[in-house]
Amino acid sequence: MNALKVPARTIALFVLPCLLLYVCLVFVPIFYSMYTSTFDWNGIGVKKYIGLDNYVNILYHDKVFWPAVKHTLLFAVFSMLEIPVALLIATLLNRYVRKPNFFVSAYFVPVILSVVIIGQLWKTIYNPASLGGMINQTLDSLGLHSWTHSWLTEPDIAMYALYFVALWQYLGYHLLIQFTGISNIPTEIYEAAKIDGAEGFKADWHITFPLVVPIFKISIILAFIGSLQSFDMIMVMTGGGPAHATDVIATHMYNMSFASSKFGYGSAIAIILVIVCLVATVIINTAFNKLEKKIG
Amino acid sequence: MRKSTKWMSVALAGALTVSLAACGSDSKDNETNTSNGGSTTETPKAENVTITFQNIYPDPSTPAAKILDKIVKQYEAEHTNVKIELDSLNTDQQKAKLKTQAASKEVPDITIVNPAAQMKDYVDAGLFAPLNDMLDKNGLKDTFQEGILNWYSFNDNVYALPDGNNVAVMFYNKKLFADAGIAAPPTTFEELLADVKILKDKGITPMVMGEKDTWTGSFLFMNILLRTNGPGFLQSVVDGSKNFSDPAFTEAVDAFQQLVQAGAFQDGATSMDYNAAENLFKTGKSAMYFMGSWATGAIDQSTIGPDAGVFKFPTVNGKGNTDEYMLAPGSAFAISANSKHVEATKDFLNYFMLQFPKVSFDEKNAVTLAQKVDGDFAAAGYSPLQMEVAGIKGAVKGGDLSFDNTMNPATSQVHLTSIQNLFVQKVDSASVGKEHQTAYDSNK
Repeated sequence: MNALKVPARTIALFVLPCLLLYVCLVFVPIFYSMYTSTFDWNGIGVKKYIGLDNYVNILYHDKVFWPAVKHTLLFAVFSMLEIPVALLIATLLNRYVRKPNFFVSAYFVPVILSVVIIGQLWKTIYNPASLGGMINQTLDSLGLHSWTHSWLTEPDIAMYALYFVALWQYLGYHLLIQFTGISNIPTEIYEAAKIDGAEGFKADWHITFPLVVPIFKISIILAFIGSLQSFDMIMVMTGGGPAHATDVIATHMYNMSFASSKFGYGSAIAIILVIVCLVATVIINTAFNKLEKKIG
Repeated sequence: MRKSTKWMSVALAGALTVSLAACGSDSKDNETNTSNGGSTTETPKAENVTITFQNIYPDPSTPAAKILDKIVKQYEAEHTNVKIELDSLNTDQQKAKLKTQAASKEVPDITIVNPAAQMKDYVDAGLFAPLNDMLDKNGLKDTFQEGILNWYSFNDNVYALPDGNNVAVMFYNKKLFADAGIAAPPTTFEELLADVKILKDKGITPMVMGEKDTWTGSFLFMNILLRTNGPGFLQSVVDGSKNFSDPAFTEAVDAFQQLVQAGAFQDGATSMDYNAAENLFKTGKSAMYFMGSWATGAIDQSTIGPDAGVFKFPTVNGKGNTDEYMLAPGSAFAISANSKHVEATKDFLNYFMLQFPKVSFDEKNAVTLAQKVDGDFAAAGYSPLQMEVAGIKGAVKGGDLSFDNTMNPATSQVHLTSIQNLFVQKVDSASVGKEHQTAYDSNK
């Protein structure tokens, strides 16, 4: 496919600016963080080299880190479980709704809203009834007072309340991706299947789902990595509180670096996060490649 | 030959693209040195200078921002060669930005820091210029209240000049107190708890706390500790004569928990930020509000201003002196040691601080200053609330700094979270002490 007949080195030259930007903005910070993660450093004064002590402390002595990992991974699991739901809705929209674009756009609205706005909005919805919280007031008016909670401040519930908002916000995003994936499947295939007697759910099972797997994979990876990096919404809504009950890896990293002034320690957490992301991406990719081969 | 020219042109084009797109090296523009017209004999004074002034007064409607703006304009009018560039951020943003700038040694000409422990790292790293010589100019030093500059001094050098000198007080809504049938503000912790109960029974939120910003709860807790122990608890921990399992400390934790269990605070306090909480009080939705006296001006100008009063934090279990307060020496202006125009910046800050009390007085924001004020508050029309606060400030007999102004950031962070936890669950006070001790020991 060498239609342009351009020498490879010319291509290399034109790729270079972008590559340089990418290296500067992605790899340099990562390697710099790797470097600073071996120091006891408050971000301002003298760095003291301590080897891998930061990592040892994080993995073995940090009482916040492992719960934060748990919160993060649980978030990732929920996000990934959301994709099949998005796929299902996309399939239904595609089949039964005459003008599905309207619905897709409607579902997509929360995605384009700023996280800060979403956070404030849901904070108000979750508020205690005395402060006009919608959920609690509704429950109260239904006579379900015993079901009311202070959603964002009860340590056992707060994390789930946050998951819900994130899932709500990103449903439209994944729906759009899946919907596009399904729309791109040629209608001839369905027509052929119809002649062979495969319609409705049967056609979906044998045609839609296998053909949409590559798109599905993208959604899964995006959902997984997105939830590992979740930070802004939690900062806006709870700040990781009460008492670390809603801390995830990224908020813990931020608090350690900026609030506790342990930049070396924060860098070490960041590096762990990078490694987890890389490993997870590789695993998901391999798993899906195998799946695609099997179906294909 | 032909091929090589082509190759050259491609290389050149590539190089151009790279130089345009590559990252890094933002060239510092020489705006500051654009001399006007060739006269080389000009005195150095006339050189054009731009001073970056990072500050924490982003809201132009607040008195603090108005004061800043007024003095800056005044100075620029008198010194046409000087331009003051304001970088106004809210407190948290400014803290994070300064830390990032400090890491790359690019501190703005003037910035804002908190006293004592919170500025120590910066001073140790040599980022701030000592201000002793500048303080001696025009008698600036004598305008400051006695002892206040000690909080900003390290090794006999003053590194920052405070914008205020505050104490923690309990603001209360006199009307809501009257509605609930409470005749006088509480003077003991037991009375406080009883009042909480009365208010709660009347359906009034007794107290608001913006505990998402964890320092607010800690501020109140430390005031309780100041009563159960007397001043200097944290200092004695540092000296090694006490530790966090001390009875005074656990007693304070227990007292604090009593307050939480009595339902003193609004629901969902730990997810509410400082501004939202203050607004609840300012709109009459809560009867009490524990805060530094810096809130006086804002409360005074709010709708409940005429109903607002203050009382001293009560004694706890009969202990403590109510004339001892949580002291909050204000955030302070520091000058970057690496500034290109240290002298010009010192000149400006000297002027700024000399004008500060006068302009603040005119803006009705002078009760909580760190400097001496010439003028009669009452005659100038300051409100009863402002006068009450001024009265309290005049009678302060010592006290303690907040936890995060005393201890290093890592220990403080554990403390702040530990206190936040008390809002959401009942905890054995001994284990709270232990948690503090572990954090202190491992971050010494």
